Amino acid sequence: MEEIKYIEPAALRNEMLRLRNEAKMDFLESLTGMDWGVPAEDDAPGTVRGLGIVYHLESTETHERVAVMTSTLDREHPELPTVSDIWKTAKINEREVYDFYGIIFVGHTDMRRLYLRNDWVGYPLRRDDDPEKENPLRMDNEETVDETTEIELSADGTIKNKKDVIFDDEEYVVNIGPQHPATHGVLRFRVSLEGETIKKIDPMLGYIHRGIEKMNESLTYPQTLALTDRLDYLSAVQNRHALCMCIEKAMGIEISERAQYIRTIMDELQRLDSHLLYYGCLAMDLGALTAFFYAFRDREKILDIFEETCGGRLIINYNMIGGVQADIHPNFVKRVKDFIKYLRGVIHEYHDIFTGNIIAQNRMKGVGVLSKEDVISYGATGGTGRASGWHCDVRKRMPYAMYDKMDFKEIIYTEGDSFARYMVRMDEIMESMNMIELLIDNIPEGEYKVKTKPIIKVPEGQYYQAVEASRGEFGVFLESHGDKYPYRLHYRSTGLPLADIVDTACRGEKIADLITVGGTLDYVVPDIDR
Amino acid sequence: MEITKKPKIKDIPYDEFTDNDSLEKLVNELNQGRTNVILGVLDDVVNWGRSNSLWPLTFATSCCGIEFMALGAARYDMARFGFEVARSSPRQADMIMVCGTITNKMAPVLKRLYDQMADPKYVIAVGGCAVSGGPFVKSYHVLNGVDKILPVDVYIPGCPPRPEAFYYGMMQLQRKVKIEKFFGGVNKKQKKEQSEE
Amino acid sequence: MNFILLLVVLLTAIAFVGIVIVLAKAISPRSYNAQKFEPYECGIPTRGKTWMQFRVGYYLFAILFLMFDVETVLLFPWAAIVRQTGVPALLGVLFFFLILVLGLAYAWRKGALEWK
Repeated sequence: MEEIKYIEPAALRNEMLRLRNEAKMDFLESLTGMDWGVPAEDDAPGTVRGLGIVYHLESTETHERVAVMTSTLDREHPELPTVSDIWKTAKINEREVYDFYGIIFVGHTDMRRLYLRNDWVGYPLRRDDDPEKENPLRMDNEETVDETTEIELSADGTIKNKKDVIFDDEEYVVNIGPQHPATHGVLRFRVSLEGETIKKIDPMLGYIHRGIEKMNESLTYPQTLALTDRLDYLSAVQNRHALCMCIEKAMGIEISERAQYIRTIMDELQRLDSHLLYYGCLAMDLGALTAFFYAFRDREKILDIFEETCGGRLIINYNMIGGVQADIHPNFVKRVKDFIKYLRGVIHEYHDIFTGNIIAQNRMKGVGVLSKEDVISYGATGGTGRASGWHCDVRKRMPYAMYDKMDFKEIIYTEGDSFARYMVRMDEIMESMNMIELLIDNIPEGEYKVKTKPIIKVPEGQYYQAVEASRGEFGVFLESHGDKYPYRLHYRSTGLPLADIVDTACRGEKIADLITVGGTLDYVVPDIDR
Repeated sequence: MEITKKPKIKDIPYDEFTDNDSLEKLVNELNQGRTNVILGVLDDVVNWGRSNSLWPLTFATSCCGIEFMALGAARYDMARFGFEVARSSPRQADMIMVCGTITNKMAPVLKRLYDQMADPKYVIAVGGCAVSGGPFVKSYHVLNGVDKILPVDVYIPGCPPRPEAFYYGMMQLQRKVKIEKFFGGVNKKQKKEQSEE
Repeated sequence: MNFILLLVVLLTAIAFVGIVIVLAKAISPRSYNAQKFEPYECGIPTRGKTWMQFRVGYYLFAILFLMFDVETVLLFPWAAIVRQTGVPALLGVLFFFLILVLGLAYAWRKGALEWK
């Protein structure tokens, strides 16, 4: 249970500036919108009510973590000060909060909806909102509006809306649309071009927004587990691991060591699976189709292992609250060892056909450079962050499962270009294989799942838990009011900062480099849209 | 009346497929009376060529898309069926395999893509989400089934369906293509004036 | 020279293409709707006008490519009879080559091969 400090909106900016400058909290880990309801008569003093936000901050130097929250009781025109000039990741996260709750951020330069259509009525995640009533299926293409609103605070304290343009009329704007083979999902980029050079990119999200966070508020805890597999389906085991750990931490359940070993091995196998697919898709996007087949041939072997033990190839319903769903298959240990030996023998082929190729190197070296300050400010964790020199691996910062008892390297490169991002993941493949070899022979005996009550009720409080998913830090923020449904279950997405940082990485590059940058940043769109 | 045309897939007995009734009904409708022998053979040749080279449009929104990619990879090779050339542009594609969830924001885009495809075109709804909304059926932003906006030919249930299930669905589509009739005036041509009504 | 063979090849090519197009037009189903006639931009309607000023860099690249392509095509007939014509023809072709290489060197020095 975390201690979250409450700050009044009027004092929020000063406190945030103090935290940023004096306490050196330069990483805004998670920004969660909340609706605590209307004040009731029987409220205990100190109960927070109204619409508000919970911030999780961390310092990259001292590793100190702080959580603060703020709220406003006004439901007609809720306003809170922005922090988007202090941490760049807040810009897109505040747009998400505006989209779901209607809170207007004073000082924000681009107050538009993020996931829902321009003509959507209402704010879906508010407790008193009924989204389906006001919003039937609209089949006309939404109007593309090239204007945005900047919220300014004028001298006498009133709010002024200033119109800003995103794209001028004379600019040549191309749609790299939702249906495209190289956007890794349904992500829409509007790119303003001058000849071959990119001037500005505006990502438009929401084409796979499935409303998972709203659905979670009406599902029981075991039912919410099923949807985590479908968020970032290439980190399915790791996402579910995060949610299970959060609920177990909240309820105080200790799982057996055998289950910890199994969970860690499954996590690393999933990481291998995801990085192999990353390699195959990156090569395919750049035109080297052969590498795609190599990667998928080896990935199928991992999927065979998953299928024998867990029953699923892509959607692997394995982690449960209290352990795992079933014990590992008798063949599991042998198959994993055989697979690792096989992969060590063929991994040189991957480097032979792609990494050393002069064309691949020219297309990736020096392209899309991201500096360390940008990466920390945007919150781009995972391989992207590590390629720019930031030590952001959650397995080292906040160890969980078996990671604090194992000795493994954190792969860091400092150049920050696409080639560094690519090499980080190739080296992580080798490191994951080493980690699995350390664990696979020593799985202790024990039970695979501890007994839990049939109806799971999490004690009241707010809990945050993060794991290192294949793409970055995946966090779960859970607020419970003591009943069997979560009050608010928010996922800190790995991909949202990455979609935001494409604009910074691609300015001044050529249009073909957009594909390289998008491929090496490695986002998966359902994770961005949730 | 007797069925004169049976859509055959090589090496798989006719009775092992489910849902032979709707295909038989289609055959009855198309062949009122008897078929001319020569035109029937010509139809068979054309249908054989078409059913063995249906080119899908790359349209993958979420998890089922990864299984679609695995289908194109080395182990489950869809090139041996003729489906390998996945076109990115709808003008060049024969069919659209809707893999993944369709949200309210994506629905007009999908309809526009379907409209821009050239005839004859087919739709396969893959996965629970495209068939009926899947695990997200209660969401406020998910279209419960792609058949609300498009005419679907084959449904492949699963979450996600195994590649072998994909193949079963694709073979059902091939059987549907094999009974079509082109020569002899049964042509689904729409006059230009009709469409402007 | 046997030109009858050339005529047969030409007629077969025209017939092959012609029959396929005519057959497809005759027996294919057809439908019309408004979106079919609009340009394809990944499912979204296009924005703005497309008639605008293009960068001259595209034109320079295209012109250079065209010149060297034509040069390659003109070398083929010489390559077919290289044995009969011997050294004098070789010198002529080398001179032709040299002129074009000078043009390439000029373009290189002037920076037409860089994209700015």
